[in-house]
Amino acid sequence: MSSNQCINWQGNLACIQQDGLVIKSRHTIDGNHVFGPDSDYTTLAVSGLSLLSEESEINSVTVNGNIDKLVLQACGYLVDDDGEWKINCANDSASISISKDVEMDWEVPGEETDRERYNLIKNAWLQEMNAVSQGAFVSEQAYRSGAASRMNFSSQQLGDIRIWPPREMIGDQRPVDAPPLGQSGIIESWTKLSAGGAPSEFSLRAPILGGIGTVFVKLNDGPRGVFLIADDDNSEPEIGKVVSFGLRRIYAQDGLIRYGLKALIS
Amino acid sequence: MVDVAVIGAGQTKFGNHALGLKGMWAESAENAFASIDGDFEPSMVDEAFIGSIAFGGGQIGNTAALLTEHTGMDNIPVRRVENACASSGFAFRDAWMAIKSGQADIVVAGGIEKMNDLTPERKRFWLGVSGDTEWERLAGLTFPGTYALMARRHFHEFGSVHDDLVNISVKNHMHGLDNEYAHIRKDVSFEKAQNGFMVADPLTLYDCCPTSDGASTVILAADHVAKRLSEDPIWVLGSGAGSDHLALHDRPSITQLIASQRAARSAYDQAGLDASDIDMAEVHDCFTIAELMATEDLGFASRGEGGLFAREGRGRRNEGSVTINPSGGLKSKGHPLGATGTGQVVEVFKQLRGEVESSRQVRDANTALTHNVGGSGATCAVHVFGRDLK
Repeated sequence: MSSNQCINWQGNLACIQQDGLVIKSRHTIDGNHVFGPDSDYTTLAVSGLSLLSEESEINSVTVNGNIDKLVLQACGYLVDDDGEWKINCANDSASISISKDVEMDWEVPGEETDRERYNLIKNAWLQEMNAVSQGAFVSEQAYRSGAASRMNFSSQQLGDIRIWPPREMIGDQRPVDAPPLGQSGIIESWTKLSAGGAPSEFSLRAPILGGIGTVFVKLNDGPRGVFLIADDDNSEPEIGKVVSFGLRRIYAQDGLIRYGLKALIS
Repeated sequence: MVDVAVIGAGQTKFGNHALGLKGMWAESAENAFASIDGDFEPSMVDEAFIGSIAFGGGQIGNTAALLTEHTGMDNIPVRRVENACASSGFAFRDAWMAIKSGQADIVVAGGIEKMNDLTPERKRFWLGVSGDTEWERLAGLTFPGTYALMARRHFHEFGSVHDDLVNISVKNHMHGLDNEYAHIRKDVSFEKAQNGFMVADPLTLYDCCPTSDGASTVILAADHVAKRLSEDPIWVLGSGAGSDHLALHDRPSITQLIASQRAARSAYDQAGLDASDIDMAEVHDCFTIAELMATEDLGFASRGEGGLFAREGRGRRNEGSVTINPSGGLKSKGHPLGATGTGQVVEVFKQLRGEVESSRQVRDANTALTHNVGGSGATCAVHVFGRDLK
């Protein structure tokens, strides 16, 4: 990619510049960039780093308090107080820059989004942070231990077979750690759940979003998986369509936002 | 080795109950005890296995002891059996094995679930507890979504269509219309089922079973006791069970249930029968696509031809070689998770003895099968029954 080339990257607007990269949400209200329904500074940072790593080596990064360090670590980045790359979050805009020295910005028009819907989603996330499980439950420990697989497709290998999600097997079936899988695949099936058909973890946001979409994907590296479709991807899923992936918020519970890869069809 | 028979079976109506766990179990057990022809006392029971998910968490620990202490089975060994929606199918298998092993002569297998006393929010938390919580639920899937993925893939691979599922829904509602124990007793037209509210595309409301309260109780006995206590025992000719990967993504195919196939093969082999010998089957139609796949997995239809089987109405009561879900199935009779498996046995017991309402009696029924699936197919129990001991 050449310098100053600006692209749609994982549903965001990204621009590689001389000294780094600027990445913004594509959603705007009155011209100001606002987060998409399942995005925040952390998802923008991971998305930006994945693009930047195609151009530059990312040895270490420094982040501020707006970004979940553990998520970046799960995605394979070394987070350090004096990291080589600085991730700067804009104060009043869904925008970040990633550079070695200077803070950067870049003006780009986005897509105007509905203010009321935006506020409803924002408030739903705030409420969801206080939600407590009343049944099925993924503990923080379980979420953290699966984070590298959920957020970066870290995998295992047994003979010629790539394994994902990771398994705890015994004897000669015990797999060894393997590099992350490539982030693309083919839809083998899909569904859209009505708000009433979605799990309780999504019950505040699903009615605002008009339900949630899920795809059953065969990844190009072999394993299959079930993934949510990114909340702001309005493409129609079809069996046989190619999907890529981007990090997004999944749900919040017990004061913790849980992140994972979601499918991007468009 | 000893042969095993069902000598008594009863249940509550499935649906919305004012009764709680203890009340439902008492009613179900009382009905089962009353169905025994000979002189029977609950104190004669040696052991009890009760299937339940303990939905809602009201009484997860020691559920079985809480229930049996009120029904005259004092101080016997009891336990709760949990395998999601197949809990009491496995409770029945455990009871059968207890007698087969020679450790017991009379054993109770039952199931129970109280689902409709929860807030909608809490209920939805519990409806997803039997899938792969970490990798499926976090991808937004509960069982309507899981079965929707299976349905769309089946359509793609085999050319089945949603109207095939509509046929199943209409049939099961028709079968359950006269069943006094059924949760939803209403005639559903093809057009109505075709145009139902979309729950998980392509599955509509009419493709999904209801959430029900209910209990069911079955009494099994060793042959020498059965012949003494029953004028018309129903023999357990074969018991099979299987399991599979919990998560869909770990299975080689999502258009068949390997656990069902394995359980059926084992049960058929023990019985010395095959699908063509079965007169009626109670199959696990938690969603209509589950019945379509079950007709293939159990051998009533060839692989990929479950849609055609439904389209041609081959499972309708007294119209084909086998009647599928004469009770109305989970779709009409209802699905109180832990009570469903032994609820299927209650229907078989009454059908084979000619004791159901005459309007829904399967003619000349001598052999029957029950098929009870846990979740999206991670566990399955299949049993084959006959009026005659082979």
